[in-house]
Order: sequence, then structure tokens, then C-alpha cells
Amino acid sequence: MEFSAAEWSAIHNSLRVGLLVVLVSLPPGVCLGYVLARHRFPGKWLLEVAVNLALVVPPVVTGYLLLQVFKPAAPVGGFLGRALGLKVAFEFPGLVVAAAVMSFPLMVRAIRLGFQSVDPNLETAARTLGAGWWRTFFTVSLPLARNGVIAGSVLAYARSLGEFGATVMLASQREGNRTIPLLVYALKDRPDGLASIWPLVAVSLLLAAGALVASEVLERKGLRHESA
Amino acid sequence: MSRLDFNCRHRFPSGFEVDLAFEATGLVTALFGPSGSGKTSVLGMIAGWLRPQFGRIRLGSRWLDDSPAGIHLPAERRQVGMVFQDHWLFPHMSVGDNLGYGQRRRGSRPPIRFERVVEVLELEGLSSRYPGSLSGGERQRVALGRALLSNPELLLMDEPLAALDEPLKLRVLSYLERVVAEWNIPTLFVSHGQAEVRRFAQQVVVMEKGRAVAKGAPEEALGQPTPLGWTHSAGPVNLLRIDGAARRGDQWSGRLGGQELKLPEVHGAPSHPLFVRFRPSDVTLSLEDVQGLSTRNHVRGVVGRMLELAGGFFVAVDVGQILWAEVTPAAVRDLGLQPGSQVTCLIKTRSLEVLG
Repeated sequence: MEFSAAEWSAIHNSLRVGLLVVLVSLPPGVCLGYVLARHRFPGKWLLEVAVNLALVVPPVVTGYLLLQVFKPAAPVGGFLGRALGLKVAFEFPGLVVAAAVMSFPLMVRAIRLGFQSVDPNLETAARTLGAGWWRTFFTVSLPLARNGVIAGSVLAYARSLGEFGATVMLASQREGNRTIPLLVYALKDRPDGLASIWPLVAVSLLLAAGALVASEVLERKGLRHESA
Repeated sequence: MSRLDFNCRHRFPSGFEVDLAFEATGLVTALFGPSGSGKTSVLGMIAGWLRPQFGRIRLGSRWLDDSPAGIHLPAERRQVGMVFQDHWLFPHMSVGDNLGYGQRRRGSRPPIRFERVVEVLELEGLSSRYPGSLSGGERQRVALGRALLSNPELLLMDEPLAALDEPLKLRVLSYLERVVAEWNIPTLFVSHGQAEVRRFAQQVVVMEKGRAVAKGAPEEALGQPTPLGWTHSAGPVNLLRIDGAARRGDQWSGRLGGQELKLPEVHGAPSHPLFVRFRPSDVTLSLEDVQGLSTRNHVRGVVGRMLELAGGFFVAVDVGQILWAEVTPAAVRDLGLQPGSQVTCLIKTRSLEVLG
């Protein structure tokens, strides 16, 4: 199978976006998932609404709002450009930001379920054995919530691969700045387009299936002892 | 100075209130009472995972809680080991890692050696297994070992025997006794079984509805009828200590104080001391020692307290230990039983149940 330069660039971008989104979202996703699973505090519902908003708002609308925030003329977009030299709108970081925002609720939800499945009594037991909060978190809570973290990462990765609506608003105005879905959409209207989409479809399927297999392997590895 | 000084009050959102003060001076203290009487909450306050609304808890010379002074030590700094009823072994760690989890803590006592714990609790060969594959008794021992290895100044145990069946109960009880004898760690355990309290504890706090209704030596505190809910249950249970149990000819027997008691067949090696359990209704009282009966056990004693409960009369006979007999009101009248009466207790050997 031969890929054109545009296709290679789209495949490359999609993979990079998927992995970067997972890496960037994991630390805040784990924190939020833990807080939402373990703590009750005033205004918690507001936090939950804020996190889940991207699930229910039409992606194009989310993309439009992101564009209003990150366009060079806006305060945030302007500041990022001046202070860090980071251009978000219409550039590669825009692909990551749009995908991260869209996939974050899915990641938090899975991680939260992971922490909820850990019996708090195990954490109590660790504390009576002399472990402080940090040691308890890293040796008991997080390892036992592992499957939730894995599931959340796979969901976020897959959602990022498929992200279109917000991305098309925030980032896609330039030839080399496309992910697989954006390129597929661009190819569709060309005279020979429909036939040339097939290889990209195959790659998409492969990337998605690969993520599922990886998560299955990781989860099994962890489960081996516990169900023995 | 007492080892543990406890005085806390806590009201739960449900309205249930624990309001308890006691001092533990002996090596092994039991919190005894029906389920729902607040025993586990008391352990939670001492271990530090339940913060009382008002509380002063002192362990040796250290204050674990002093709410008027704003002191509340977090659980990890209390050096109080806890064995939970459901064990809470870490399912993702091997038995060896579970045992070693709390080991890094340094207390004021000389450290307890890993190898010795494994030896005393007979955990050899379990190290690389995972909690999911252990039996109930094994889990219990691993949980106990894990708490011990954290080098606690006080060991708390929540119903250590409740989830075990009778033969296993006796084995685990003997492990507990070994642990206490070997390391001399002050222990507070929660139980609703009279047998284990009498056998294991030097001191007992009887709880009901969040309050102490009796405190003291087990013999004394467990002899009070009201705390034990006898008024609405079957009444007291006899549990007597037998020394020097052995087979003599074709008959097992042992000493109950200075008197001999014939025992049913004891299977395996008898423990010393041995306990026998029987119902007060299996005891016949006689004013004279009648000969020519098939009932082999004739134990002489003096009538102490007499209680009328649930339509029956319970008579406490002092035979060196307290032995309860259940008789009818008519029998009390006809025999003229009253405190101080000399009586003989007739107990069929077959009605005795030998424990450990």
C-alpha cells in the first residue's frame, strides 16, 4: 500500500495527537477521577457539570468556543503566542487541545469508576500500617484503580483518533495540519476521492483495534493474581 | 499507669451515639456486646479512622486524641495495629508484600522479626501466594502477621474469630494466645462470643447501645445478667475451665477447682486448660449427694445469686467458678433454695461440650 505525503502526514498527526492527549490528560484526569470518587464537597455538582459539558455540547460549538479562546486576537491565545510562542488555533497544538477537551470527560468517567471500585477500607488498612496519604495512594489506591486508568486512556486515545467537529473548527485550515478524519473529509469531494479513502479507513481500524488489544493485555496482566 | 485510657463521645448521623470511658490495664482486654453496640466504632476511634466529636485517648504516655486540646493524630502515626474483621489484605500484593507493608515503621519497642512472625503464625510457603487464593484461616493469620510487623504499641482486633467455624476458631485462638505470649503486645479485641472472651481476656468491657454496662474481670463482668441481653434470649451459658484433663482408664476426666469432672471423649491432644460448655437446663440441683445415679458428675457448691428470667429461675452456684443451673420456680420453693444453700450439681457427662 502506497501512501501519499498528505496521507502520511495525517496518519502521523493522528498518532501523535492520540498519544499526546493521553499523556497530557492523565495527570489531571487521575486527580479529578480520584477527587470525584472519594470526596464530597460543596459545589461538587458544578465541577461534574463542567467536566461533562463537552459530552453534551455539539462538538462544532465546543470548537467554536475554543477558537474564541485560542485565536491570536483573544486574550488567552494572544498571551500564549507572546509568552510561550505557542500558536494553538490553526496549528498542531490546536489538534491536541480540541481532542483533549472532547475526550477528557470520557477519561475522567472511567478513572472515577476505577477508584470507586477500590474499597476505601483497603486505604484505611494501609493507614493503620503506617502509610501516609501519598504512599497509600501510590501503593494501594492507584494500582487497584489501574483498570479504570487503562480504560480511560484507551477511551481518550480512541476518541482523539475520531475527533472531528471541534478540530475542524479550531485547527483545520492548512494542508499539513490534518488528522485522518480531516483528510478523509477533504478527500471525499475530489473526483477520485472515494477510492483513495480506503487505505486511511484501514489504518483507522488498525489503530483503534491496536488500542483495544493493548488495553486487554494490560488489564489481564494485572488481573492474573487477584482472581487466582 | 494504664496502657490505654479511653474516653470518647460520638454521635452518628443516624442518631446512634457511642459514649464510653474505660481504662485497659491488663495485657488482653475484650470489648464484648451484641452486634450494633458500637464496638467497632470504638476500635475505629483508637486506630484513628473515626474522629470522635469529643475524645481523649491516651496510649501509654502519648495522646492519640485530645479534642479539647485540638489533638488528633492521623492513623499512620499512632502505632496502633489493627486486624479487621474482613482482613482487608491488599489483593494486588503477594502475601510476603502484604506482611512487609507496614514493616518500615520504627516504634519504641524492639522490632518484631519477619522470620519469627512467619514461624509463629505458620505462614511458611504462603509468601508468594496472593490473598485471593488463601483460606479464611490463612487470611486471618496473614492479617494478624501484617499488623504485628508494623510494630504496634497496641493491637486491635475486630471479631477475630467471628467468621471462622468452630474447629478453626480454636486453632486461630491458639495462634492469638501464642502471639500475645511471644511479643507481649497489649491487645484490645472485639467479640460477641463469651467463650473466647473468658479464655483470652483478663479484662472485659461489656457494651450495649454505645455504652459500657459492665467492666472488670470476665468472670465478674460476664456474670451480670442485664448487659448480656439475657432477659430476651436463652439466658446464661456455662463455660467452665478444666485443668489437667487426661484419659484415666477408659474415661476422660479433669479438675474443676478441687473436684473431679468426668468428660466426654476428647479428640486429639487436649489443650491446657480446657473449657467445657453446657446449658444451665442440663444441670440438676440436689440438696444431698444422691448415690446410685447414672449421672456421673456430682459437683458440690454454694448458691449465690438467683435470677428470674424468661419464665425460668437461674441459680448461680459457686463451685470455685460460677456454674448456672436453670430450675423451675416450684423447685426453688420446694427445695427452699436461697443464697448460701449447699447444693450438689448433677451434670450428665454427655451434655458437656469440650472446647479446645
